Amino acid sequence: MTERAAVARFVTDLGTVVLCEEEHSLPLVHVSVSLKTGSVHDPRGLSGVVRMCTRLLRMGTRKLSATQIEERIDAMGAHLGVGCSSSYVHIGGVVVAHNLEKFVALIGELIRSPAFRVADLSRVKRETLAELAAACDDDRSLAARHFRAFAFGEHPYARPIVGNSRSVKAITRAHVLRHYDKHFVSENAVIGFAGAITPLRARALVDRHLTLARGKAPTESVPVPKLEKGRRLLIVDKPERTQTQILMGTLGTHLDDPDHVPLTVANVVFGGLFTARLTHEVRSKRGMSYGASSSLGHDRQRELWSMWTFPSSKQAFECAELELRLMEEWIKGGVKPSELRVAKSFLEKSHAFEVDTAQKRLDQRIETEVFGLPEDYHSGFTARVHGVNVQSANAALKKRLSSDDLAIVVVATAKDLRSELAKLPGIRSVEVVPFDRI
Amino acid sequence: MTRKTRTPREELVARLNAARRKNSAPSSKLRLLGELPFGEGHTVGRYAFGNGLTMLVLPDHSAPVLSFHTWYGVGSKHEKPGKTGLAHLFEHLMFNETKHMRKGVLDRMIESAGGETNAATWTDWTHYHSELPASELPMIAKLEADRMRHLVLRDRQVVSEKEVVANERRYRVDDDLEGEVSELLYATAFTRHPYGWPTIGFMRDIENFNTADCRRFYKTYYAPNNATLIVVGDVEEEAVLRVVQHEYGSIKASKIPPLRAAAEPEQSKERACLLTRPTPAPKLALGYRAPSFRDPDYVALALANDILLGGRSSRLYSRLLRDEELITDLHGSIAPFSDPGLYELWFSLRPGGVLPPVLRIVDQELSRMRTEPVSVRELSKVKNRAELGFLQGLETAGGKAEQLGFFEVVAGDAGILFSRLAALRAVTPKDIQRVAKRYLRTGRRTRISVLPSEGVSLDASSDSEEARA
Repeated sequence: MTERAAVARFVTDLGTVVLCEEEHSLPLVHVSVSLKTGSVHDPRGLSGVVRMCTRLLRMGTRKLSATQIEERIDAMGAHLGVGCSSSYVHIGGVVVAHNLEKFVALIGELIRSPAFRVADLSRVKRETLAELAAACDDDRSLAARHFRAFAFGEHPYARPIVGNSRSVKAITRAHVLRHYDKHFVSENAVIGFAGAITPLRARALVDRHLTLARGKAPTESVPVPKLEKGRRLLIVDKPERTQTQILMGTLGTHLDDPDHVPLTVANVVFGGLFTARLTHEVRSKRGMSYGASSSLGHDRQRELWSMWTFPSSKQAFECAELELRLMEEWIKGGVKPSELRVAKSFLEKSHAFEVDTAQKRLDQRIETEVFGLPEDYHSGFTARVHGVNVQSANAALKKRLSSDDLAIVVVATAKDLRSELAKLPGIRSVEVVPFDRI
Repeated sequence: MTRKTRTPREELVARLNAARRKNSAPSSKLRLLGELPFGEGHTVGRYAFGNGLTMLVLPDHSAPVLSFHTWYGVGSKHEKPGKTGLAHLFEHLMFNETKHMRKGVLDRMIESAGGETNAATWTDWTHYHSELPASELPMIAKLEADRMRHLVLRDRQVVSEKEVVANERRYRVDDDLEGEVSELLYATAFTRHPYGWPTIGFMRDIENFNTADCRRFYKTYYAPNNATLIVVGDVEEEAVLRVVQHEYGSIKASKIPPLRAAAEPEQSKERACLLTRPTPAPKLALGYRAPSFRDPDYVALALANDILLGGRSSRLYSRLLRDEELITDLHGSIAPFSDPGLYELWFSLRPGGVLPPVLRIVDQELSRMRTEPVSVRELSKVKNRAELGFLQGLETAGGKAEQLGFFEVVAGDAGILFSRLAALRAVTPKDIQRVAKRYLRTGRRTRISVLPSEGVSLDASSDSEEARA
């Protein structure tokens, strides 16, 4: 094992990166195992495989049943979560320090010897289908789910992480095993500890419990996403809505894009603060929506820039039209020096809250490793923000964002709003899908 | 005769009081109320000013940040029928203009400083909090003191904020099934006590508020003797007290009317309601009349809740979700209110499911809890989980400040925060059985059932990426 003690980063002999953030103020330890794989690696037509594989890890090992696993987690006073995003998988949680070894041993057993029993797969499939149905109750998540699929089209980023009814039903044990064997290997993993633990102890725990099968990280690359031309509208039709959920967006930047930080600053000006333009115009001045914000996604390839509001059905058209106008003005006119000063000041000074706990510091370092970012990606963030000026922010805006090519998703009662929303400026096409289509 | 030695905090108070100008208002005089142990090696200083302002300070140098909380002892239970939602609307209005600042300046100053600020209202309290770099203590104290004393309320702002709150209500209640059911659950369970109306207020009441209502509310409840300040972070206690003494010392106390909330009569028969809504699957909400947060039974009932549905090895999770596969989601909690509230349980069924088997299993498990003592092992498991949750709540400065403020306002003493942990560890299987017998009876229950509207059924013909491919 090689060691760079100053930053508590080790690489095991099998190539697994291990990180440790030591902090003894509370008797808690956070443990994290991340794999550089996510729903972008779902086979075409089989979205949900990676998530299914991840969920099955806690459904049983060669020695333990799901019931025994859950009994052990709860008895330790631990919290364990398994999760899957587009680009990485995470297994980890938190435990009171005196139960750390037992907790790490259990995580090790889950990731090293999952049983992937057919009966458990069937059970998880049934659960997933029920969860897909349950998600129809939440208008905001309905909008988010449809938004990604609608915006990204055929690109892997469009794949619903959970899958859909057809893909979930089609997943077999062989699909899950194939994914596990290929991606759950030593060089594809990043292990982290934060809290009441020393680097020495972390190293010993990894050696004893968390050694994955030797293997190189797969090198599949994700294609560059493209957005369809024009402004396209999708209405997710749900009866009896008094309020709408509106998401609109276009392609933004990727993590290592030189325009990413300037665009991050510009986005703070537009919709990243309570006093930002979008929030001010929509909520503070007009009271149209309880929330109004914009965000810039980040991943290996260009992610979405998007804005979100939820006006009443009566004000949906007016609000959406206002958002489009504000976006056009922002891109065309750029940000003002006074706005830029506030945004930069916020980002630079609020960085203290990104690193105020050991767990947050660890999460940043894991992200750096998983995405293969420069070592100073997070520690140098405030300096890069400091270097942004009006010219670079406005250049990034014009270069990266398009108010002509937009995906717009509205959860609403279609019979009340379809004809009105179709009149939004520049709308090229209108589609309507029922809310309960899963 | 021996002379009592002053503690460092007593010395500090004496120093700050001696430094007051001769003509200083008595309201700025500081008293030490006590010291509260806070984990290993830390104590919280608890103080009061002459104007009734309570102040808790916990220096925590683990990160260069500061958490500044103001808890006002006013919530929706202080409202009247026809004026529901006023406390919550007022929370929004507190971010508007003051005598010295235009609308938006407060947010802009906090954001420019790298901070975040927000607020929350519930039945018993309204809570304002800001998280900032530690160097911004003077700024945030000045801003908070200014809006405690100099808020300006005009028709234009009240009208605009009513619109925002109406939209918030649509989001949280009218178009959110669980929010709507929760509102109905409380309205059905509480026939007299103000807990029966929603904190966000009924839509008709939100629409009818006027500026005079808001001014009256502000004058009555926003005063130092109805507030507790909590400061946690990378600060020196003396600097905090000096700044607060300077900013708040001359604010006058108000006459807070005593609250005479109507007592809720005992419930002896189950109450039930049925809704039909556009949802793919049925839902079930249960509410059992429960003890107040201050009641010693609260801790035992919280552990009983964890035995039933805390974690995946809990009794109801195991039976309903894993073994019988009847539901998709379940959760439960006991309302942390200063008066007796509800123990709420929520079950989201699988599509095509029916309610009676779910209710039967819930009843079986509650009956089991009343008649059989839980094993020491099972109890120890939920105690471990509770301890983890407790510690996780204290990981950040903001978390610590929130816990201190909540206990000070709802339990009446922030010191109870740590004795709660001891109380939790002392709960026995007999305690669990006793509270189950006392509180978890069908006669004390309110039940809301939701069935899918006609015509709503799952369409599994997805047209997403896979279907198009």
